[in-house]
Amino acid sequence: MTISSRLLLTGFFIILVAAPRPVVAQRSLTDIPAPDPTAELAAMLVAEGYEVNLFAADPLIRKPLQMNFDPQGRLWVSSSSVYPQIQPGEVANDTVTILEDRDGDGRADTHTVFADGLLMPTAVLPGDGGCYVANSTELLHLADQDGDGKADQRRVVLSGFGAEDTHHIIHTFRWGPDARLFFNQSIYIHSHVETPAGVKRLNGGGIWRFLPRSLALDVYARGWVNTWGHAFDQWHRSLVTDGAGGEGIYYGFPGAAYQAAVGTSRILHGMNPGSPKYCGLEIVDGPHLPDDAHGTLITNDFRANRVCRFRLTEQGSGFSSEQLPDLIRSKRVTFRPIDIKLGPDGAIYIADWYNPIIQHGEVDFRDPRRDREHGRIWRVTAKGRPLAPRVDFSGRSIPELLDDLATQSAYGRDMARRVLWTHNPVSIRQAVTAWLAELDPAAASFERLRLEGLRLFQAIDRGSASEINQPLLAEVLGSTDPRARAAAARIAVDWADRLDDPVGLLAATVDDESMLVRLEGVRALATIGGPRAAELVLQAVDRPRDDALDYAAWLASRELRADWLPAVVAGDSPIIAHPRRLLFAIEATGAAEAIPTVVRLLQTGSLSNDDRQAALDCIARFGGPAELQLVFEAAVQPTTAPARAATLLEFLLESQTRRRVRPAGPLAGLEQLIGSPDAAVAKAAAAAAGRWQLVTAIEPLARLATDTKQPTALRRTAIENLGRFTEAAAAVAPLGQLAGDRATPMALRIAAMAAMLNQQPEAAAAAAVSLLASPVAEAEQAAIFQAFLSRQGSPAVLAAALEAAEQPLPTSVATTGLQQLAGSGRAEPALVAALKRLEGRPDQPLARRGFSATEMTKFLAFVQASGNATRGQEIYRREKLQCVKCHRIGREGGKVGPNLSTIGVASQPDYIVNSLLEPARNVKEGYNTLVVLTADGQVVTGIPVSRTDTELVLRTADDKQLTIRTADIDEESAGTSLMPVGLVDQLSRQELADLASYLFGLGREGL
Amino acid sequence: MDATQSPSWKVSFTALVGAFLASLGLNAAEPTGGAAPSWQLQDGERIVLLGDTLFERDGQLGFLETALVTAFPEANLEFRNLGWGGDTVWADSRGVFDPPAKGYARMLKLVEELAPDVIFVAYGRNESFAGDRQLDAFSKQLDKLCADLCQQKAGTTGESPRLVLVTPSPFERQPTCPDADARNAVLARYATVIRETAAARQVGLVDLFAEWPQTPATTPFTTDGLHLSPDGYRTAARLFVAAAGRQLPADWADHSAPVRERINAKNQLFFHRWRPANETYLFLFRKHEQGNNAAEIPRFDPLVAEAEAAVRAARDARPATGDLP
Repeated sequence: MTISSRLLLTGFFIILVAAPRPVVAQRSLTDIPAPDPTAELAAMLVAEGYEVNLFAADPLIRKPLQMNFDPQGRLWVSSSSVYPQIQPGEVANDTVTILEDRDGDGRADTHTVFADGLLMPTAVLPGDGGCYVANSTELLHLADQDGDGKADQRRVVLSGFGAEDTHHIIHTFRWGPDARLFFNQSIYIHSHVETPAGVKRLNGGGIWRFLPRSLALDVYARGWVNTWGHAFDQWHRSLVTDGAGGEGIYYGFPGAAYQAAVGTSRILHGMNPGSPKYCGLEIVDGPHLPDDAHGTLITNDFRANRVCRFRLTEQGSGFSSEQLPDLIRSKRVTFRPIDIKLGPDGAIYIADWYNPIIQHGEVDFRDPRRDREHGRIWRVTAKGRPLAPRVDFSGRSIPELLDDLATQSAYGRDMARRVLWTHNPVSIRQAVTAWLAELDPAAASFERLRLEGLRLFQAIDRGSASEINQPLLAEVLGSTDPRARAAAARIAVDWADRLDDPVGLLAATVDDESMLVRLEGVRALATIGGPRAAELVLQAVDRPRDDALDYAAWLASRELRADWLPAVVAGDSPIIAHPRRLLFAIEATGAAEAIPTVVRLLQTGSLSNDDRQAALDCIARFGGPAELQLVFEAAVQPTTAPARAATLLEFLLESQTRRRVRPAGPLAGLEQLIGSPDAAVAKAAAAAAGRWQLVTAIEPLARLATDTKQPTALRRTAIENLGRFTEAAAAVAPLGQLAGDRATPMALRIAAMAAMLNQQPEAAAAAAVSLLASPVAEAEQAAIFQAFLSRQGSPAVLAAALEAAEQPLPTSVATTGLQQLAGSGRAEPALVAALKRLEGRPDQPLARRGFSATEMTKFLAFVQASGNATRGQEIYRREKLQCVKCHRIGREGGKVGPNLSTIGVASQPDYIVNSLLEPARNVKEGYNTLVVLTADGQVVTGIPVSRTDTELVLRTADDKQLTIRTADIDEESAGTSLMPVGLVDQLSRQELADLASYLFGLGREGL
Repeated sequence: MDATQSPSWKVSFTALVGAFLASLGLNAAEPTGGAAPSWQLQDGERIVLLGDTLFERDGQLGFLETALVTAFPEANLEFRNLGWGGDTVWADSRGVFDPPAKGYARMLKLVEELAPDVIFVAYGRNESFAGDRQLDAFSKQLDKLCADLCQQKAGTTGESPRLVLVTPSPFERQPTCPDADARNAVLARYATVIRETAAARQVGLVDLFAEWPQTPATTPFTTDGLHLSPDGYRTAARLFVAAAGRQLPADWADHSAPVRERINAKNQLFFHRWRPANETYLFLFRKHEQGNNAAEIPRFDPLVAEAEAAVRAARDARPATGDLP
């Protein structure tokens, strides 16, 4: 957060607290603003130069979910009052409505219910003589055969989509420039769709693309939480928003994977870290809107009741993005903009779902405040600028439509394409060829229009050999504009089955001067496949690459593993002559089979120094025992620089952890390194000695552990690794001594106690009780409990020791212990009982509960009357409360918990208060924890970050990412929230009210 | 309980039914190839339909269920449709947040709760896309599925439920399915596995693949090359009924429209019961948040029962009139 915005924020709170009823009143439970569109309009702050009018409202439309214009300029709107869940006995009767503004006054004057009887239609897109509709588990096509304006034919086009969460079901329909229907699904959905080419499955979120003509369906990109926005720029590149992600605008390309993607160990990131939650996406264009707005992105932050803008700048293989001042902000909690589209008159249309309640994961399905009646479409125009002339594209001739592609109007180009696709393919091909011949190569628009022409060939392609236009494709691949070359690479994939030499045609892309072209070239070649494509893909490694290009090459190496690996293993691949390419491919895939090839390469002595190091690192990470031994010997060699030795040992340790592979031995020389004066070497050597159970290292480890002159961190490593010798008594003795030694720093005593747990749990528990009986800080108490909670079976041992304790224990031990237990997501009844007895309240419920309805009403009134947001902000920042450690507001704070920047407008006050009191009650999606028991008895609680067949990555409460081998997982169970219970117990009622007041105001800055 | 069962009672029962149907002016068909039909349905029985999109979409269109209800006029039958798009003998579509194996276990648990007397098992098409290399694995897993289903106890008898395996209908050449012939060459081998499994286990069979007509009468059998159109479902319905040694009147589909409508309404209610939306919050890892809303779900049970009664009432109304009070 910048200083100025912080001042603004503080200023705002003073206003908020001092203001009379209106602002504060709508935050109360029952006082929801009257659903008056005039008042809603009046409450909007609209950016300078723009104005807003009401295009349509209830009762014409209720609860709009998605809207799209057709080529005649009519607006199709899907709506649901059934959401979030059909009630027993309720008949699903959701609708698709068509709105039309025939007289051009900016207000809908005609309204037709095109279809009803639908179940939560989250998307509608006109096309193919009717419209495509997302109907929960199905993608339907509805058509009006008899021309009465109502659907009379209902066809299931695709089915098998998941509905595990109804705000995640398929959504965000949009026509791509290639005549594919793009649509998305969100994080909790698992879809299994039967097509003539087999079952297509997508677990978790992602973007599908679908060609209705052939029923070809595939996954375009994966991940995100709620991909509720997708738009194509004028070069047909994908921009994406996420209604629950935290990184603003995302760049989409085939194979891209983002947050929460299932089955991948690597993800990309959005362009605006810390900028959360956008729904819908459109790119400003057209004659009506001001020129300086052209190309900006408009999207909705429905949680914070505002419409936001971003400006993109091309950068690397994608873009950078900068947030601009909002287009609209509203003081009304019910303003929920969720879709945004450019309209036939050049204006911006915004679908307002209108609801004081959003979500149904955190808010009860049947919460009476849920609005099921209302909804609006707002229209935003630029003041004093003429509207675009309205055109019925469905009535335009082919030449007129081709000319429309040249206009500066994204709306017009989209509609023109959509109508062109419906014409006879033969006529289109002829007309496009003639049109292309007429284009002026010197014109600024030439490259873009030639690409549009090529797109049309692709879009109307029915799959026969004569339909592709190979010369045109080659021309566009050779375009002077990299954006055209990049798009053409993608088109080549669609035609690969009929091109003479698709791989040869794309060969130059991997060495293109533009990173964007290299990215698309790599993705295209990876899709086409084959040994030559694999070689080319790896060639892209020779040049600089940003994260997306590096990811693309990484993914391609994995996808084409079978195309490059056999030849590498056999030693006759041209890749071997390029060590960097080879090492990249091995690192991307973890292909241990290729390591002997690397060893041979190393032994030839032909490698440069840098390449030698890289090769050794690669062997250390992926080699077998004999090969790791080579690395080990290199590491312990006296001539090896300390930093290198440490690095190699760390890689070897990584192999131990991730692959359970260790050097074949002997491990001579490791003991000496434990005593190295270089701390990094000593640390790595100590860790290796413990991991590999090198008994001859116990003595140097004990020496290091007890050496008071050594840094604490190093001693801790020695202590922890002594704990790994589960059989050796020689390792336990120094641990017991350290744990009981009052002169040793408390952190090391606790570490020694924890290390003893492996060998002598009872002795460790006795040591723990002694430590707890001495004056230790709360954080230290917590660390002691955590040591026991992270090991299967240990909590019961601690419970027994606590019960048997002879020395008196402070009750704070019980409080801390119970807090830690509640946050761990586990039951551990013996420990609970022991702690409750210690607390002296054996019959009280474990965790403090949220308020009852009556208590809540009273408390909220108290917040309103005497909560002070400024004081609340100070409380929020108290270190002891740990809020900042885990939650982000603006640009400040951790990422373990949900971003709270707009919590005040996103959530109702009672939910915020109850979340403080009882964190597990309502957990934001993507923040539910998983409790994992590993084969060696470790218990780990964290938020799943990624999961593949071989590895699970969890984010732990201290914001560390922990990788666990799937093979080591014994049990998994659903936890709740990582937020510790009872954090606010220490607050007085006044302080709690202040904190609540601060949180209620977040996201309302400047209103 | 042994998975096999004696077919002896069926023959005499069929003769009995034949006489009954004759008295109604309907013909009991000769079983295909002159052999005794491999399965029958009896009064009071509950039938589970387990399979892929073939059954899932019949849950909306209702042709198969309507045909069986119509062809067994003497029996009150209860159908529970557990079809799931994209599913396989490994329960690939049923894992939800878990691996398929857990979905498979959940499916068995559900079957146990439903305690059906008869289970129709329709798999093989989705598996066939993996080609011949998966054929063996398919064969083993289909057999395991049969064995696991036979471990269940039928509600009326407490004995093992009777299985009826169903082979997929062939792929149909369409613009969206240009390689139907090649696909059918593979599918034929999967159908053979299903047929052989049925024979080895001495369970019932509906052999759509073998009995399917060569060319459609008027409109295509499928909407896209694999999923049945209404005409396709009517064809499949006839083959189901014929496999039981029965026959439907030529205009059954028209006459039974009111029955079908009620069957579809019932199936929709049952769908919301067994595969409700928002499972994540109702029953799975976020149930601690909105799990209280799960109390609504069993309230579909009486509605399903009511709808079931409406199906019977429609079926028992005079079929010739075609409409209902």
